[in-house]
Amino acid sequence: MVSIHFRSQMSYRASFVFEFLGTLTVGILEFATFALVLPRFEHIGGWGLGEVAFLAGVVNLSFGLMDMVFSGFDPGRFGRHVRLGQFDQLLLRPVNITLQVLGSEFVLRRIGRILVGISILAFSFTLIEVDWTPEKFLVLAFAILGQIGFFGSLFMVGSTITFWTVESIEVMNVFTYGGSEMISYPMHIYPNFLRRFFTFILPAMFLNYYPAIYILELPDPLGMPGFAHWLSAPVGLLMLLVARVVWHFGIRQYQSTGT
Amino acid sequence: MTPIIRVNKLSKHFKVRKHHRGRLAALRNLTTRQYRTVKAVDEISFELMPGELVGYLGPNGAGKSTTIKMLTGLLVPTSGELEVNGMLPWKQRTRYVRDIGAVFGQRTTLWWDLPVIESFDLLGTIYKVPEKDFQRSLDEFRQLLSLDEFINTPVRSLSLGQRMRADICAALLHNPKLLFLDEPTIGLDVVAKERIRQFIQHINQVRGTTVVLTTHDLSDVEKLCQRVMVIDEGKLLYNGQLDALADRFGGDRHLLVEMTEEYENVEIEGAQVIAHQGHRVTYQFPRHSTTASELIGRLSERYRIRDLEVREPALEETIRRIYEERLLK
Repeated sequence: MVSIHFRSQMSYRASFVFEFLGTLTVGILEFATFALVLPRFEHIGGWGLGEVAFLAGVVNLSFGLMDMVFSGFDPGRFGRHVRLGQFDQLLLRPVNITLQVLGSEFVLRRIGRILVGISILAFSFTLIEVDWTPEKFLVLAFAILGQIGFFGSLFMVGSTITFWTVESIEVMNVFTYGGSEMISYPMHIYPNFLRRFFTFILPAMFLNYYPAIYILELPDPLGMPGFAHWLSAPVGLLMLLVARVVWHFGIRQYQSTGT
Repeated sequence: MTPIIRVNKLSKHFKVRKHHRGRLAALRNLTTRQYRTVKAVDEISFELMPGELVGYLGPNGAGKSTTIKMLTGLLVPTSGELEVNGMLPWKQRTRYVRDIGAVFGQRTTLWWDLPVIESFDLLGTIYKVPEKDFQRSLDEFRQLLSLDEFINTPVRSLSLGQRMRADICAALLHNPKLLFLDEPTIGLDVVAKERIRQFIQHINQVRGTTVVLTTHDLSDVEKLCQRVMVIDEGKLLYNGQLDALADRFGGDRHLLVEMTEEYENVEIEGAQVIAHQGHRVTYQFPRHSTTASELIGRLSERYRIRDLEVREPALEETIRRIYEERLLK
């Protein structure tokens, strides 16, 4: 499947190159703005440029990986497939529908965002020293997996909503793109109600912030239990399970489009 | 033999949002939500035997596509029973679709940017078709549908007729028991239509594939189907032999007469003269109250006749009458 998408995208070589360069440029510009503005404040909530860059790097890397794996569930793109009746064609094939949607798109140009993430991480390591231990590597891997699961599940729910309406894609974008922006900063800078929302309702708190606190050995101003940094992957998994239920409910309700 | 399709009181209702009109309509649409239920398919029942080739007719929005989508497992029925090939299509979807093929006229199942042959190979893999069977089917279809002229072309560059041939081939590579064709000849020219019809007939007769065909083009039906089902506004109006359809709803027939000499007055009892030109007279007579032989008897008593022809009304006319008059209601 992947090789198919690779080949079909390569059949538009020029457009692939331009899109790839485009994502890369946007990513670098985004980071440049961030890197230029941050030193003026010296620190954000007690965290320096290196620490915040670490957060941003992990988010970009994870989001890029997620976007590559879950690009079939990108609500904008998925909604278009539904409207054009291409989703029907997937339902007619004897393969698990979730796997088919996952395999229906494989957007290579997301490599751009992944590279941006890696560059920001590399940059952060020029500013901060990390005493790497096996546990820290594991926590980092869990954080990345958790974020892939978390944002992937938001993509799935967003795609499910497009069975009924396309207008609410924007609402989902607030959570996905807004969410990825938000967890690029230390969570204790946000007001109480936001923090509560992102602890108990959408547990984004554990995705990036606590793993970073553990890896960078920073104090936890919010007083979470000591195992909080391990929760990223479980949170991602839990979200995916919920998203799967929503998704299957959506398929049952799916009304197709008129011919 | 047991039926391959069993449908009993099958219904599909859609909830459609009511839209306000007039002043502040956009605002009211946003704040209030009212729904209206549309019965796209309303308690239809029918059975289909293996090997049948049935035409499914109806005007736009009659419920044809909705029925096909339930039969192919895309839509979950609102109520009623539906069993195809011994399975519940929507419930056992992945297993069920292994044994069916479906072509939705306006859409393609092929990969837009890949050469046709690569899409075929990929479908062969997806359906896990044994290599030998796959090659045999492909060779057969390549020849019957003349696929070779474009088999290495990406799908996006095919003409509509070529794409349809490729799509029909794709739907049959896994040798399904059942083939659903939704408007397979829409937008095609006469030659392309004919080629596809011949192919459908071949598949039905040689492979014994059961075919359900929806179409607007009644010549498809006349050439291919012995049996038709007519649906309108979600209700099944007719289900039976194509010949019997004309018999039941055909309305008036025409009798074309060529006489040996010109007569002033050609009126006879039981028929109406609708054209009279020189030796040729056309009568129109009701199907049920008058028989053709009665008329011919009366005519030959009075006039000298050279030639006769009884004309059935065109199928199109018949179908139109069914829709317009709702003769079964």
